[in-house]
Amino acid sequence: MSYLSTTDFTEDQAFVDRFRRMMRGDLDLSWMDVPRERVACRPENARRGLTFRDLDVGAYGFTEMPELIRENRSFAPRGAVMPEGLPDLQAEVSRKSEVWAYNIEGYYEEAMTRQWNATTDIPWAELQSVDLPEDIGKAYAQLLTFLTEVEMIATDVPAKWMGRLNADFFEVKNFIATQAMDEARHAEIFRKRALSTGWGLMRASAQNEFNLKFLRDADSFAEASLALHLQAEGMVLTLFRFSEYISPTEGDKKLFRLVMQDEARHVGYGMQHLKWVLDHFPERREAIHHHLDEAENFVFGGGYATEVLEPFIILSGKGLKKENIAEGVRITNAFQLKQTDEYFERLAKCGLPERRERSRLWKMVEMRKQTMAA
Amino acid sequence: MAYYAEKNFFEDEQLIELVTSILSGNLTLEWYQAQGARVRARPADPRRGLTYEDCNLGPYGYDAIPELIRNRYSMAARGSVLVTKLPDLGYTVNRRSDVWSDNVVALYEEAKSRRWAPAVDVPWGELAAGADPVRDAARAQLCTLLEEVALVAMEMPSKWVFSINQELLELKSFLCAQMIDEARHVEACRKRALASGQGLGRASTSAEQALKELLSAETYPEASLGMNLLLGGFVLAMYRAIATLAETRADRLLGTLAMQDVARSVAYGVGHMRYHLAHQPAKVVALGEYLDRTEHVVLGIAGSPEFLEPLVLLAAGSLDRERLAVGSRFARRWFAAALEEYFERAASAGLGDRRERSRLPRLDS
Amino acid sequence: MPRVPAPSPIRFPSREFFEALRDAMRAERERFSRLGFFDTTFGVRISPDNGGEPAEFALRFEVFDCVRVMEGLAGVETDFVVEGPFGAWREMFDTIHALGAADTAQSLNTLTHFGERLRVRYDDPDGHDKLYRFAESIQEFLDLSARVDYVYPDGSRPPARRDEPRRSVP
Repeated sequence: MSYLSTTDFTEDQAFVDRFRRMMRGDLDLSWMDVPRERVACRPENARRGLTFRDLDVGAYGFTEMPELIRENRSFAPRGAVMPEGLPDLQAEVSRKSEVWAYNIEGYYEEAMTRQWNATTDIPWAELQSVDLPEDIGKAYAQLLTFLTEVEMIATDVPAKWMGRLNADFFEVKNFIATQAMDEARHAEIFRKRALSTGWGLMRASAQNEFNLKFLRDADSFAEASLALHLQAEGMVLTLFRFSEYISPTEGDKKLFRLVMQDEARHVGYGMQHLKWVLDHFPERREAIHHHLDEAENFVFGGGYATEVLEPFIILSGKGLKKENIAEGVRITNAFQLKQTDEYFERLAKCGLPERRERSRLWKMVEMRKQTMAA
Repeated sequence: MAYYAEKNFFEDEQLIELVTSILSGNLTLEWYQAQGARVRARPADPRRGLTYEDCNLGPYGYDAIPELIRNRYSMAARGSVLVTKLPDLGYTVNRRSDVWSDNVVALYEEAKSRRWAPAVDVPWGELAAGADPVRDAARAQLCTLLEEVALVAMEMPSKWVFSINQELLELKSFLCAQMIDEARHVEACRKRALASGQGLGRASTSAEQALKELLSAETYPEASLGMNLLLGGFVLAMYRAIATLAETRADRLLGTLAMQDVARSVAYGVGHMRYHLAHQPAKVVALGEYLDRTEHVVLGIAGSPEFLEPLVLLAAGSLDRERLAVGSRFARRWFAAALEEYFERAASAGLGDRRERSRLPRLDS
Repeated sequence: MPRVPAPSPIRFPSREFFEALRDAMRAERERFSRLGFFDTTFGVRISPDNGGEPAEFALRFEVFDCVRVMEGLAGVETDFVVEGPFGAWREMFDTIHALGAADTAQSLNTLTHFGERLRVRYDDPDGHDKLYRFAESIQEFLDLSARVDYVYPDGSRPPARRDEPRRSVP
């Protein structure tokens, strides 16, 4: 269904007449005299340039933005004078604490200045010169296949929400745009690396696909962000750090350091968003726990993804021999426990310390630790 | 939340046994034999790095994407070995020629390579607010309108990317590049207005009504035609005008760098239409009709007082009557040139010569 | 000892002039890399003010470099051609030489805006749009002429560097 403008501009004689008058220099200039805050924002730090934080003044800024956006339902830039007749954007989210995050403006500026290029910023020539032995090559190609498969869920899900947010939350929309690009870059780098190993792509990960379907399905932006930024990307961040550690070449280590930077930003947003929600919208707490119950169910179900777990074991143990596998299991175990520990640590820091007690995932992990210690 | 896992995995004995077994060193290695086609992508030009074009190999390449994508509804990477029981993620855009263009891969690589950051790439310190209140006010108003346009232009690709099949990876990646380009324009225009000493201007009712009509196009081909080819050409002309009428390096750079981004979207818009019509030639009728009823939005945006009057003023430099005559002459030439370029692009995209059919040229009389 | 004659100065317009820009661009690889991929072939046509055959050159850019300078446009596939009278080109290059870079009045975008000083010719709007896709790279390429020592056909040289940028005049 298409929206049709309230006016057909070429058929509206008054509009056309006014257009022709302007084209003859007969100007109305009513826009010049509308009362508004006149500001001259300047960079507080010249090296950082003019940032969104420098624009945080008066009604233009985000600090003074009210919790409920009652006045603006259009595309009018925040703080602009709003005449009659602006269309309704049909925003589904007009409550600040549903989307906001501490330091959102900082994350955006960081994202814009830290964009990198998968095509040119990786030493492809150096990587070409390395032939990975079959066991390492296949395990690595399988890990890369999994990563390229899942990355763009974090493009699709935030992008789905962008148009549903009130235009006053443009800092959030802009951040979403940077995340969309970051994830396209991640899908790209992992795909290119897999295709440059000489092994090509390996097997798709069915169990993780079900998790992706879950991530696409959320009732609110807060729940979508929680599952995506905090739970999924939080765990992926630990995974990237681990992957850097077990990378077969220096070029691959650089690759994981670069993707890690982006991921940390997304997780940072997720954490600051959860903090903001819990600070300003405390009645959401139970809904958040309920969503995490199912998110963690999918995490635990990820055990079926042997095409993720086993490559880690081979890569960290550096081979398929018995002694390699034993070492790989030891390291991978430590990684998985660390991954889960960090996830619960993040939730606690964001104001959800009780999550451990409520979580079945935590209980399973504690049981595993006890088994290992025994 | 409506989608739940098929079982409660915490009570899945089979899963616990499997993981315990693996972590005891008994790897299944089911995936080890399931290997796709063996390739080794290499940079054709080391200066350029490893491009998607270099990866256009066999079943992995974008040349292998079929016209109708019937049995791939998951995010499984193109060319990877599929397994049974992959979920349907709900994609509703599954026809290649609805979205593809022959230049989209190159444009994606170009977009990444030609990125810029408004905070640091525009020399904001060179601007002197208050030096020229008439031009400052005009520029602030112009930038307010361009911020509105960019907000909508950012939402168009975001609206569709969720629904487009993941097989069309390179196209989806280009849509991400468009999103970040437009985020940049939202940022740059807002910063320019708030650095002017004037604050933001007035939102434009006619422009927003027009933008909402474009944004709500029923199909992706219509959305791209409207936003990238029809409006995109005029927005390109707007940034060209900002660069031309600039008095500072900061404004020239802002206009020029934004122009580069928009020109890529226009190039995609033309390329997309060409590809679409080459594969679905019957659609030319419906798209012609779409343009018949939608071209008026150009007048709502480029003909809005919130755009046109500032343009006249910037070109005039003052409110003096003789200078306003100079400014309005600039605006007339600007509109005529932008309109002519639109007709050229539409024709080259396969939409025929619209000069006789369009209502826009009548505005001149 | 016979005196070694001093090398002839580069003339504008000439193939050597554009080759000098090409060489200067190579020396600024880092800067042009930051601007991004630059993939176009365009023509430059300089018509003598008093009539006669125009001087024509084709410049091919790939990745981050000017990879080829050709004299003449016959048989060369170009994305677009920028053409204009010698006087307009001279004014632009004089400004670049005096200021170190074009000011807004003499930028290529301004000069070609309505085709009054310099015009853009093209067969395909796609080619035309490359002027805009690579606008800043093209401008900075032309700005490299500030470092080139050259003379005009009448033997005169462009002005020496001055500090104050000229304001734009629409």
